[in-house]
Amino acid sequence: MRRLGLLLRLAAFSLLVAFLVMPQRFAPLFAPFTEYGAPPIYDQGSLLALAAAHLGTVFLAAAASTVVAVSLGILVTRPSGAEFLPLSRTLVGIGQTFPPVAVLAIAVPLVGFGETPTLIALFAYGLLPIFENTISALQTCPSSVIEAARGMGMSSRQRLLGVELPLAMPLILEGIRLSVVINVGTATIGSTVAAKGLGEVIIAGLLSNNTAFILQGGLVTGLMAMLLYDGMAGLEKRLLRAVHVG
Amino acid sequence: MTPTPPPLHRIDRLGALLGTASIAAVAWLPFVTFKANRIASGTARSLFEVLPFGTALAVAGIVVVVAAAAIGVASPRSRLAAAIVGIAVVALALAAAAADLTPPGNRLVRVSPGVGCWVLLLVQALLATDALARLRPGPGLRVLCLALTGAVLYAAFALGLFDQLSIMREYAVNAGTFAREARQHVLLATGSLGAAVLVGLPLGVLCHKVPRLRAATLQVLNLIQTIPSIALFGILMVPLGALATAAPWARELGVSGIGAAPAVIALFLYALLPVVANATVGLGRVSPAAVDAARGMGLTGRQVLTQIELPLALPVIVTGIRIVLVQNIGLVTVAALIGGGGFGTFVFQGVGQTAIDLVLLGAIPTVVLAFSSAVVLDALVDVMSRAPQ
Amino acid sequence: MIQLESLTKQYGPTTVVDGVTLAIASGSITVIVGTSGSGKSTLLRMINRLIEPSGGRVLIDGHDTSATPVHLLRRKIGYAIQGHGLFPHRTVGENIATVPRLLGWSAARIQARVDELLRIFQLEPAEFAAKFPHQLSGGQQQRVGVARALAAEPAVLLMDEPFGALDPIIRGKAQQDLLDIQRRFGTTVVLVTHDMDEAFHLGDHVAVMSQGRLLQYDPPALLLTRPADPFVSRLTGTADRSLKLLSLTTAGEAAEPGVGEGPSVPAAASLREVLSDLVWSGATAATVMRSDGTPAGRLTLAGILARGRAG
Ligand SMILES: Nc1ncnc2c1ncn2[C@@H]1O[C@H](COP(=O)(O)OP(=O)(O)OP(=O)(O)O)[C@@H](O)[C@H]1O
Ligand SMILES: [Mg+2]
Repeated sequence: MRRLGLLLRLAAFSLLVAFLVMPQRFAPLFAPFTEYGAPPIYDQGSLLALAAAHLGTVFLAAAASTVVAVSLGILVTRPSGAEFLPLSRTLVGIGQTFPPVAVLAIAVPLVGFGETPTLIALFAYGLLPIFENTISALQTCPSSVIEAARGMGMSSRQRLLGVELPLAMPLILEGIRLSVVINVGTATIGSTVAAKGLGEVIIAGLLSNNTAFILQGGLVTGLMAMLLYDGMAGLEKRLLRAVHVG
Repeated sequence: MTPTPPPLHRIDRLGALLGTASIAAVAWLPFVTFKANRIASGTARSLFEVLPFGTALAVAGIVVVVAAAAIGVASPRSRLAAAIVGIAVVALALAAAAADLTPPGNRLVRVSPGVGCWVLLLVQALLATDALARLRPGPGLRVLCLALTGAVLYAAFALGLFDQLSIMREYAVNAGTFAREARQHVLLATGSLGAAVLVGLPLGVLCHKVPRLRAATLQVLNLIQTIPSIALFGILMVPLGALATAAPWARELGVSGIGAAPAVIALFLYALLPVVANATVGLGRVSPAAVDAARGMGLTGRQVLTQIELPLALPVIVTGIRIVLVQNIGLVTVAALIGGGGFGTFVFQGVGQTAIDLVLLGAIPTVVLAFSSAVVLDALVDVMSRAPQ
Repeated sequence: MIQLESLTKQYGPTTVVDGVTLAIASGSITVIVGTSGSGKSTLLRMINRLIEPSGGRVLIDGHDTSATPVHLLRRKIGYAIQGHGLFPHRTVGENIATVPRLLGWSAARIQARVDELLRIFQLEPAEFAAKFPHQLSGGQQQRVGVARALAAEPAVLLMDEPFGALDPIIRGKAQQDLLDIQRRFGTTVVLVTHDMDEAFHLGDHVAVMSQGRLLQYDPPALLLTRPADPFVSRLTGTADRSLKLLSLTTAGEAAEPGVGEGPSVPAAASLREVLSDLVWSGATAATVMRSDGTPAGRLTLAGILARGRAG
């Protein structure tokens, strides 16, 4: 069973890389979906470059969201930030009812077309799952453990770094993964506001009525998203095992 | 008569932050943006530039009082009342500014809220939210608050209070399609939800009864969820288009490569995970002693499921439905890209025409719809889990 | 009468209950004891077929239980478990009414039965019928659990560690309730417990299980005086077995004719209690008094000690 899973992942990954590196080899597969001699393979830019740009946007935004969300999460769960906690919780709840598209669409008029609105939308929307998980992880940290740490004479800083954060790590990592997955989807929509990314292929297909573009764009993006999710889940497990928590 | 500022008991730091922000917004940020027509570039106007001095001073004064209340008043009720008054005053000032700036009979001029106005509304909404969160209203009260807010907003729009605002201008132009897209949006979101519940609930029960099925099913559904919506729409367009070409009966049913069909199927697939996962989790949490006792007393397998397990799992199942509904309302927006309709139509048209008002005309109702469904379903879950567990 | 004939349960290669044969008289209380994992629950749950036997059969009043559809069989057998298993989304009244409803009783009859049972268990119907289980104390929940098991007037009541989660005082009260009710309705009770004192107090017969096998099935006194296996005496304990033996006889049963000097003791007290009383007060004999206040005879220290001797 495990071996089958590994094999499947390996095959999917090789297929994705092969398609991105030499898409023309796959032309015969997509030719049946074109009409009137339209190109079967996306020809308005390198697929590899698009994929790289897509991932770049996603990870840049995710890194920024992680730093900000985790810091904020720590801040509002300290006694000195307690006043901000109820509002933070409510905001996270309300924020998640905002569709990512709406966040993206609202960012455009503020900062114009291109990479920036997408980055802003990804950053803002990506904050929520990480912030939420950080708060609930830090809040549900067993009080007996914290009491014990206090009893051993650890300072509040030592408690945070040595006890609370390591215990919160599994949930925080899960939040980051969730955030990245949502970001991949939102970044795809970012192509409607002229951000570089794989969504471009699908949009181009929709605009020029080229089913082959739509299909390959959809397949490549979908495959990449699934591999990313799966890969991050695996990484998470390994990381947690390495630090002996979870 | 100016109300006397309440006594300062203790500085509330959240209030201090937000209150300072609101005062700064009144003092330095533009209150409205004025455009001679839809495509002209806008000019920013401050509160004192657009309203008569006395009125502007009164508005600014009230903002200061609300900020003071946020800083120095501890009672959440008073804070809530202050914030609501603040929001109403800013909204009325906005309507007045739009009316003042629009020459009578002119339908070209565009007045939209400026950054300062947005900041004021946002900050005061945050204060209201914070006060409300501290009051911990019960489910009934929350729904009542929502209904009241809805009624007040409806009345304000029906009275034409905001008609001179550019978003309402945009609405006036699109009034006919707006109702249609709204209906389409709700239909797409709830239709796919209904289908997902019909399929997902039995699947969840099956996953609960057959543990070996559970991991595999959830993994597949998880993976489907990670596929970006446009990609899934695109992938589904191909087989559906082929089906429509090949089978006339399918075409007659309205199946085609573009439009609602791929959207509904994609939304259905996305919706399966929360429904199945929550059904499984909910059923898994039912006390094994209760199930054992039920079987021991002679309830049949079906009776145990329908009379004991499902009722006890219901709050968790409804939580899943809430997740799906909110998620669907957001995702339907994207369906506009493949001709599925809904509020997304305005969003993407607006993006295409760089018309922010049109974008907002699509985005704001979507957010309102998602938010209201979340409030109502959360209340429902609360009521159900308050009934004994 | 419940007859278990070579009842066996296997999970794969492991035999959890191994060829148990025993006959339980109608209207008696049988207690099953044994170490954890010895197959007590499995044996009990094969009687109402919550677990299907791998071999052997169960007869109730001569009828093979496998001939009846399981759900119909179970509706005629009361079932109460540790942690009560009350339905959290139903009121106390609805919980108790579960089986009568399944059996299609009329609403009036159900209502009357629910009220009757609540009264028997000292739970005022007006106050408790509409409450939800989480609004009750642990002891009250447990009583409702037993009341629910008795709702449809079953001739047989199966109980798996029903009092396991109760504190000693409430537990003693619950045991007394069970004895009263069993006498009142003549129910045949099969009860699993870990508590040897409970087994001795309640059981007309005690079945000792070890590793899936029935080691001994006898009245409590015989378990003490004639253990069939070293394991049985280990389980019952040897340090205080004479006192245990004394606790099985009441003063009324042991009273000799005549009037004693010393303190007066109630006829319902066990000899163990009378002995304790005599040691405490330094007397050598006691007068046994019936509950109506008339003397029933006397007990001497020597007489009591003779009854605590082996054999
Ligand atoms: N479904 C099952 N599959 C495999 N083994 C089982 C199963 N159910 C019970 N067993 C095993 O059967 C043995 C007897 O279980 P049973 O529950 O009857 O014990 P018990 O005497 O009631 O123990 P306790 O006093 O702890 O309740 C145990 O070793 C248990 O592990
Ligand atoms: Mg047991």
